[in-house]
Amino acid sequence: MIQTQNKKIYKAVAETVKQVSSSSYFIEINCGEKINIKAGQFISIYCNGLTLRRPFSVYSNKNGKIGILFKERGKGTKYIKSLKTGDLIDIIGPLGNGFNIKDKKSLLIGAGIGIAPISFLKSQLEERNITCIFAGGFLNKNEIPIGINIDKIYTDDGSYGGKGSIIDYIEGLINEYKPEIIYACGPLIVLKNIALAGQKHNVETQIAMEKVMACGIGVCRGCVIDIKKDNKIVNATVCKDGPVFSGSEVVWR
Amino acid sequence: MAVDFSKLTVNLNGFILENPIMTASGTYGYSSEYNDFIDVSKLGAIVTKAISLTPREGNKHIRITETKAGMINSIGLENVGIQEFINKKLPVLKENNINFVMNLAGSTLDEYLETAKICELNKIKAVELNVSCPNVKSGCLEFGTEENSLYNLVKAVREVYKGFLIVKLTPNVTSIEKIGEAAEKAGANAVSAINTLKGTSIKINRIRGKFQKETVQGGYSGVGIKPVAINAVCRLYKVLNIPIIGIGGIETLDDVLEFFAAGAQAVQIGTANFTHPDIAEKLIFELNNYIETNGFKDLDELKRELRE
Repeated sequence: MIQTQNKKIYKAVAETVKQVSSSSYFIEINCGEKINIKAGQFISIYCNGLTLRRPFSVYSNKNGKIGILFKERGKGTKYIKSLKTGDLIDIIGPLGNGFNIKDKKSLLIGAGIGIAPISFLKSQLEERNITCIFAGGFLNKNEIPIGINIDKIYTDDGSYGGKGSIIDYIEGLINEYKPEIIYACGPLIVLKNIALAGQKHNVETQIAMEKVMACGIGVCRGCVIDIKKDNKIVNATVCKDGPVFSGSEVVWR
Repeated sequence: MAVDFSKLTVNLNGFILENPIMTASGTYGYSSEYNDFIDVSKLGAIVTKAISLTPREGNKHIRITETKAGMINSIGLENVGIQEFINKKLPVLKENNINFVMNLAGSTLDEYLETAKICELNKIKAVELNVSCPNVKSGCLEFGTEENSLYNLVKAVREVYKGFLIVKLTPNVTSIEKIGEAAEKAGANAVSAINTLKGTSIKINRIRGKFQKETVQGGYSGVGIKPVAINAVCRLYKVLNIPIIGIGGIETLDDVLEFFAAGAQAVQIGTANFTHPDIAEKLIFELNNYIETNGFKDLDELKRELRE
């Protein structure tokens, strides 16, 4: 088991931002110390003058350096992209619960930028010699980050691997690999389909959710989703109760 | 060596704060979430998330959005309810030696009164009456915008609750002076100003000539509301005898001093807690350091000079 540690504010140092696909970037953040992080946990980054920190799933964690994968979507990610080697960066982490790793034959599914925590999870499963297969879905081959180790790739336009949305391949993957557990991250519609397929095939699913957050620590209640608990529908915060939920507890709409 | 903060003490009309830095309701939970970042017991006081008679689930739609100079929230007073607060949260606050104010919200006069009675029964030292939440349909804000309703509410609560009673004022009124005076006349021990401004954001995503809209209507907070808050505090300071706790967009020591200059006796840090969860503690150190290095006798002297 990975012993996770308490969240903390780090005045860290940015390393070079690298473009790793047509639309995604990779940055390593040097925190100056080793931090224990479970795959699925995230960090929040203060973006120079913006009120809300931006949350990012951890993509890698080596030698005191946290790596994240991101796309330029707005002011926050524009700021992160502009960082130069040696720039100070204010981060809080590790946040959230992370995947609850089980010693079971695992199917890992990542779609789009949702591959980030799944790729990190794969490395943690492999460290424990847990059998796993990683399937990734992208819009096209130019979207596939360089250096990522994915076993099965699907692209919407068929420019690499199987053609079509990864949603169309979920059933096939389950039938072919007979996983005992599925871990996933990606757009809501992908997660919903994975959770429902898991229920149908009686396979446990753990899915990492995303939502706009203010505090990142469970205080403001800004990022709640509906989950089922004791036959009732209750609020759960993505930032603290999640971001990883059991696919069967989430109320899908 | 421990830093001596004794010059920062504030006597808020009988409610003693070790320093004037408080944290605002809704931005600090019930405080334990901040333990990893700072020693919460060092704060002047924390104000809890709004507590109502029964648990509330809050709003279903999108709850937060960022704006150019702050954020809009539409949480809808999601909270555990007073019983759960008394059973689960109160012991933790006491155990950790945290000076706190319980923010009390309701929809009807009866609800406010029932909750206030439970506060009295459980010897809750200080209550901040939330009459200004813009995110719930009934009650709440209505009490805060009409002086007669407010007077009746505060007077009724005053009769059942004997502790320190703060009334949190909304800026969404024509004359905040009249509302403040009604609170004072009804027996409030202090007012806090301001709650969030009513705001709406419509984020428009342009996708090839089509629009995808995301609308959030709720309470606008953050650095952008500071001038409105300062204006409210200035106006209240002219007409009230009870102390004023300033709230609105505070991020720096200069902001704190600005509220003192306007007439505030203490301040609450709100949205900035989200951006920098250690900010409240930092401001205490900075304020203390400023007083020490500039030879002020104490905080009261600093405030007097700021108001001259």
